[in-house]
Parts: sequence; structure tokens; C-alpha cells
Amino acid sequence: MNLRMQYARPRKLDQATELLDALGTGAMVIAGGQELMPYLNYGRISPSIFMDISGLAELEGIEETAQGISIGALTVHRQIQINPVINSALPLLSFAAAQIGGGRQVHNRGTIGGNIVAMHALYDIAPALIALRAQIEVAGNQGLRTVPLTELLVETDHDLGTKTLLTRIVIPAMDPASGWAYEKLKITEGSYGSANAAAIVLRKPDGDLQVDLVVGAVAEQPVDLTGPLSERLRDNPDTDLDEQIDAVCQAVITDPISDQRGHAEYRKAMACVVAKRAVAAAIKKIKTS
Amino acid sequence: MAVDMQELVEDSVLLQCRVNETPCEEFIHPTTSLLDFLRENLLLTGTHMGCMTGHCGACTVMVDGSIVKSCITLAASVQRKKISTIEGLGEKESLHPVQAAFCEESGFQCAYCAPGMLLSTVELLNETPDPSDAEIRSALSGNLCRCTGYQSIVRAVRTAAKLYTADKETQE
Ligand code: FES
Ligand code: FES
Repeated sequence: MNLRMQYARPRKLDQATELLDALGTGAMVIAGGQELMPYLNYGRISPSIFMDISGLAELEGIEETAQGISIGALTVHRQIQINPVINSALPLLSFAAAQIGGGRQVHNRGTIGGNIVAMHALYDIAPALIALRAQIEVAGNQGLRTVPLTELLVETDHDLGTKTLLTRIVIPAMDPASGWAYEKLKITEGSYGSANAAAIVLRKPDGDLQVDLVVGAVAEQPVDLTGPLSERLRDNPDTDLDEQIDAVCQAVITDPISDQRGHAEYRKAMACVVAKRAVAAAIKKIKTS
Repeated sequence: MAVDMQELVEDSVLLQCRVNETPCEEFIHPTTSLLDFLRENLLLTGTHMGCMTGHCGACTVMVDGSIVKSCITLAASVQRKKISTIEGLGEKESLHPVQAAFCEESGFQCAYCAPGMLLSTVELLNETPDPSDAEIRSALSGNLCRCTGYQSIVRAVRTAAKLYTADKETQE
């Protein structure tokens, strides 16, 4: 433990970004602490300053805007599960947030912002957020910018939480006619998934299916199968849907991970399974009226 | 530089909060976990430490009525909040209905997990007075028990639901 570690709790967003800028390296942003505290307890991190952002009102609240539902980065998982606006506009997100591991205690305290910034391969909700085409708002010394979440995911060493702040997540409301599902293969009720998949399916006016499909816990980053799958569906309209999903998983998941939940080959196989289950469940939920 | 860093940055934090209805005020180190604050500063050792990584749930306490794992909650972040620990739940002579139910159904063996199990049960029953078995298991998924195999715990929560509702009715 670094005994000289200091603490700051800014009250305004511009104070926070200026402070991060002035501190240079060594500062670390903390909100719910669910990601950082275990590392702190075991001496794995020793920032010179902990910046506690839990007092920033700009990072709170859930609002409907022209761009979609704007969710403050400090919103806890439990709030995402029960908030009526999210329940009706983004039911997939509410459902995925309920699957987060660690139990109610973590749901009460863990924030959506922290979950995204941690970018842990096994974490829930990232596949759902990608399938929902979420955008994130980032505040830095240059002001505020909005970027697609997927852009963040390609930068392996992003500076969120050290130089910049994730302030809000903006997600377009789901089409009420779409069907959706989140499937998670897990060992116990509160554990991480060995594979998970988020699917949103919409029947287009011509009767064809539009499938948004993202799998997680199988590679370092969630894998978006949407593009490759829609190409296949277009080129082979008469092949069985499950076979197409299998083929796309095989082709696109090139670098599966191995950990205590299973080795790479198994993980890839299970990703195929949950992907097919998620799409089948989503199709069942399409409103036919 | 518009920010006065001296004003914002502190070496120690004056934590003011209420613990089991008692106001307390202490200077703490910025890295102190809520668990260490409770056990070491306030000597409330009923809250147990099992892992310090957020896995076991033995350290569960309530902050403003919601359960959290105190080992992964920064003490500095509970400024002006109400903390409830197992010490505040009931008295030896007059057990809280959830405690009484766990005794009746042998909802623990070594009881290391018990402080967390009990507080998680209280939160569950405050929100869902008559939970299904699936709801019980889901609500306790953040609490690990190495002894019981969970069957007696689920039974205890079912009994607790009955006692708790009856208890509330008599209070009204
Ligand atoms: S000691 Fe806090 S979860 Fe184990
Ligand atoms: S009774 Fe021993 S850990 Fe639960």
C-alpha cells in the first residue's frame, strides 16, 4: 500500500477534468470501487491520487434525449434493472444488467461507467451495449466528445479513468417490434459467464430477418457478428439459420481465450451455442401484431 | 490553472457517517475500506472478512438500506450515509425475525457467512416479502457458504419471510 496516497472529491465536471489534466500520470478515478478495490486491497495498484467522482451530478440520472436514452456513468446496475425508462426503451440492457455476477451487493454499487471502463473480457452488458449501438460521452481537457462504444474497444490502452472521464452512455431506443435475448452460460448463479451472447432480431418489411448479434467472454473483446452474419444471410438465403450462425462463429472468433472457465476450443464451441440460443430466443419474442 | 489543487486534494479524510444509528466522526486514510473502518476503527467485528476481493459476501453491510460488500467499498465514499451492520440488527434477548428464523432452521453451521447472509435476507424481504426459491437463491448469490450446502439457508429465508411479515403486521 502506498501510504502517501491522496484523495480528491471534485464537485464539478470541469474541476475533475482539470485536476486529471494537472495530475498527469498516477491519478486514478474511482466511483463504486467494485473493480478497483480488490486490486487496492492486494496492493496491485497504488495510484498517487484517488479521484472519487461520486459527487459529480453531471454523471447521474437517466434521461430521454433526441439521440436516445442518456444514462449517467454513475448509474448503478440495480437502477438499470428497475428504471422504468430503461425497462421500456432498452429491455435488453435491463435484462443483461440483472445477469451481472457478484450478487445484489455488486448490483447496488457497481456503475455502468465502471463496468465499461474496466473492459473485462468476462463482464456482462458489453455485448448488449454493442448490439444496441451505444455511444459514449467522454470528457477531457479538450471538452466533451461522443464516440461509438466499439471505437473504445479497439483501443487497448484507452485513457478513460486516468486522463479522461466517461460521463454518459447514450443508446437509441429499441424498436418495439424487435425481439431480443441475452444468453449466459454460467457455472453458478453469481458467476461470470463461460460464454454469453446478446441478440436483437427484427423482421424487415420483406420478411427477411435483421440480426444484431454480439458474443462475449470468448475473446479479449466482445465479438460483433452482425456484419458477417448479415452478409451470409444475404448470400445464402436458403441455408438453415443455425448453420449460418455456426459458420460465422467459426470464421470470426479467431482468438478465443482460455481460463478457469474452460480452454479456448471449448469457449469457442460454447460461444456458438449461446449465439444460436440467443437468436432463437429473440426470434420467439418478436411481436407479430 | 483554475483548480486549486491544495483545496481539492487531501491526505486524510474526515469521515462523518452514522453506524447503527450512532453518529461517528473519524479521520481515515484515503485507501481504507469500509470493512477495515468498521472492524478496526470502530471495533465492530461482527462484519466478517473472507476475501477482500468481493467474492464471498461475509463482509456485507447496508449503506442507506442497500447491501454492499464493505471490503470493496471505499470508506471515504460513505460520507454522511447510514451504515447498518449485524450489530444493529437485533439484541440477544430480542432477536430480529430474520435472526430467529436462521436459528430455528439451522441456517448456518460455523456462521462465518451469517452476518452477510442475514443482511442480504433483510434487503430481499424489504423488497420482496414473499420470495420464490429462485428469488431467494438469486438474492443470496453474492454470499458464499462453505458449510451448509445452502439448503438450510433457503429454508431459513422462507421461514424468515413468514416471521418478518407477521412481525411487521404486529408493529402496524
Ligand atoms: S470479504 Fe468482502 S466479499 Fe469477501
Ligand atoms: S455456515 Fe459456515 S460458512 Fe456458512
